Parts: sequence; structure tokens; C-alpha cells
Amino acid sequence: MTLSHYLIVAALLFLIGVFGALTRRNIIGILMSIELMFNAANINLVAFERFLHPAGSAGSALALFIMTVAAAEVVVGLALLMAIYRNTDTAYVEHFNLLKG
Amino acid sequence: MIERIVFYSLSAVTLLAALGVVTLRNTVHSSLLLGLSLAGAAGLFASLGADFLFAAQIMVYVSGIAVLIMFSVMLLGRASDLHLRQVNEQWMAALLICAVSSAGLLKIARAYSETLPAAAAAPQTRTLGLLFMGDWLLAFELVSLVLTAALLGAVFFSRSEASR
Repeated sequence: MTLSHYLIVAALLFLIGVFGALTRRNIIGILMSIELMFNAANINLVAFERFLHPAGSAGSALALFIMTVAAAEVVVGLALLMAIYRNTDTAYVEHFNLLKG
Repeated sequence: MIERIVFYSLSAVTLLAALGVVTLRNTVHSSLLLGLSLAGAAGLFASLGADFLFAAQIMVYVSGIAVLIMFSVMLLGRASDLHLRQVNEQWMAALLICAVSSAGLLKIARAYSETLPAAAAAPQTRTLGLLFMGDWLLAFELVSLVLTAALLGAVFFSRSEASR
């Protein structure tokens, strides 16, 4: 298994995530697609560490930071989502026009 | 040989589950498949020799974030959602964007097609701990601050309007 195998898998996962974030109508679907993109970035970091810099473990440490920030993002995002849902009574992003005035 | 089988089966699980996440109409199904896709990514971490990250991925993503998303899917959903289109009308443009960027990403990946792992994988937990308690102490503490802020933010936003 060469590095390019892992890079290709991560690239495909990232592109699936981009596609989902651009096309899903449901806000939870968009959040899930963002999680997929985070994971693609993590796979890339760990693969580069394993293949190019096996001495240190900075890639894994960065991936752990990404994981923590992603957890924080999801927690705040879902709490905001519940607040918006209470106001607008919908989960579809095209109806989120509370700031339109 | 066995390495190849492991890699291809894990990648197939990850990518097919991810495709299900973005295309399925039922959000409950796509949140379940999200858990499967994240578990496949955890397997890829294990095949790359990142043992601590494998455990962290299972604990944080599969049993934390995926379950949290599943809960909110069940809180927010309606039965009528199952008959609605879940994809907006820009899917053709999104597909085009993905195709164009895939050309660039695959070109970058092809540059590393000869790179093989330099050394056998070693356990990482000790080096990670030393890194977090040594050189990266500031970043580590900042992340714990971010987690506290997220906790407070979640409590603040999920209170109802009347109690504020």
C-alpha cells in the first residue's frame, strides 16, 4: 500500500462530503457531510505522518485536535439547530431566513 | 496480501457508507451510515498504525458525535420528511465542482504513488502524551478552553426563550 492509495481514499471521502454539504437540504445532513470532510482531513494527516515523517507523531496530535474541535462544533451546532427549529419549525436550510428582516 | 484486503475492504465500507450519508432520503438511515463510515475511517487509522487515534475515533466520533447526531435527527424529524426531496436543485453544479476538484486532488495523489512506509509502525500513546505535555502544552490547554466554551454555549443555546 503506497501513500497515494490513502490519499485517493481521503480525497474521495472529502469530495463526497463537499457534495453532501452543497446539496443536502436538511441542516443535519449538512452537519454530517462536514463530519465526513473532517475525517478525510484526518486520514490525510495520519497517512502523511506514517509515510513521510515516521519519527514524530505531530500528524496524530493534529488529528486529535481536529477531532476535539469537531466535537465542540457539533455540540454547539446541534444546540443552535434546536434553537432555530423552535423558532422556524423547519429543518430545511432554504427556510432559514430569520435574519432577512 | 492481507494488508491489501484490509485496506480495500475498509475503504469500500468507508466510501460506500459516506455515499449513503449524502444520498439517502431518510435522515435516520444516513445518520446510522455516518456511524459506519466513521468506524471505517477508524479502521483505516488502525491500518496506518495510529493506535491511539483509532481508539479516540471510536470513542469520540462513533460513540459520541454519531450518537448525538442520531438523537437530534430523532428530535427534529417529521414523518412527512420521508416523502420530500432531500437534495436541492443545484446538485448538477455540485457534481461539476466535485469532478473538477477531483482532477486536482488525484493529480496530487499520483505524485506519491511510489512512497512506501519508511519504518514499521510503533505504539504512539507515549509520544503523543509527551508532545501534549511538552511542546504543545499551550495548544492542549487552549483546546480544553474551547471544549468548556462549547459546553457553556450548548447549555446557553438549548435553554428555552422563556427561561432566559
